[in-house]
Amino acid sequence: MGRGDRLLQAVGALGLAAFLLVAFTPMPNVLARWDGEAPEPTPADAIVVLAASVSVDGALSDDSLRRAVHGILLYRQGLAPLLVFSGTVLDDLASEAAIRAEMAHRLGIPAAALLTESTARTTREEALRMAELLQPRGVHRILLVTDRYHMRRSRGLFERAGFRVHPAPVDNLSHAQAPEQRLRLMRHLAQEALARAYYGAAGYL
Amino acid sequence: VFVLVLVGVTSVAMYLVGVKAWGWRDGELRAAVRRTLVCLGMTLVFFLANLALGVLVVLVGRWILAGFVSLYPASDVTLVVLSWLQAMTFQSWREFARRRVEPGG
Repeated sequence: MGRGDRLLQAVGALGLAAFLLVAFTPMPNVLARWDGEAPEPTPADAIVVLAASVSVDGALSDDSLRRAVHGILLYRQGLAPLLVFSGTVLDDLASEAAIRAEMAHRLGIPAAALLTESTARTTREEALRMAELLQPRGVHRILLVTDRYHMRRSRGLFERAGFRVHPAPVDNLSHAQAPEQRLRLMRHLAQEALARAYYGAAGYL
Repeated sequence: VFVLVLVGVTSVAMYLVGVKAWGWRDGELRAAVRRTLVCLGMTLVFFLANLALGVLVVLVGRWILAGFVSLYPASDVTLVVLSWLQAMTFQSWREFARRRVEPGG
């Protein structure tokens, strides 16, 4: 066995150990709890629900639906007079934001309490567009709804855009127990860590 | 734990069939495990190379187009399977090449 083989073998052993650690121990759950922001359900000027994704036939993804429902429930608790949805347009269909606003309206939220923003394609753009949309209306204190693993970066961006942010995270993965769910959680955490590094290097955070 | 038990049971069954029925040797199992780790290592190397290339292409795309190009497709889960296929193919090729050049191979 040559030096190259021994090196590959060591990399393989490390990879296998990492896989077993992530899939079959609570390590990703601990990381998610350590990395996430705790909910601060306090009264605010608006509830801002960040985008996730929508399919080409206009069906909201699970993440998108979960965030939207969480925003609706916060509104129902009377925590803010405005419910704002973000989400871009896909092809010629209605935007993710409009689909969620329509759903909220059908679930009893008054049209006057709903706002949408459908031009932002990244979290940074969402923060900037929301500042343009909301701050002229006197909205400065917001309840921010996004997934728990996405909250730290989002909070930093919205605070930088001039908002006072109270996290209202959606948490469906940090208690994951099935190996597949833990792998998915770890993937999200790794993506977020890379995204934060990229945003930091680009000077966005 | 359930899936680990499943994998454990089928592995033990295969071990018994291999040793009792087909005459496989314990020492060869250790060599097979080492070879598997080499293949796994090569899969990781290909995966990281593919991922790095994907991120680079997206970032260059953003810079050239001065617009939005999503990074998420670069980390699609199919990349793991495709990296594994790459690793198996190139590792097999590498072993064939080694057998060809080594005396007695």
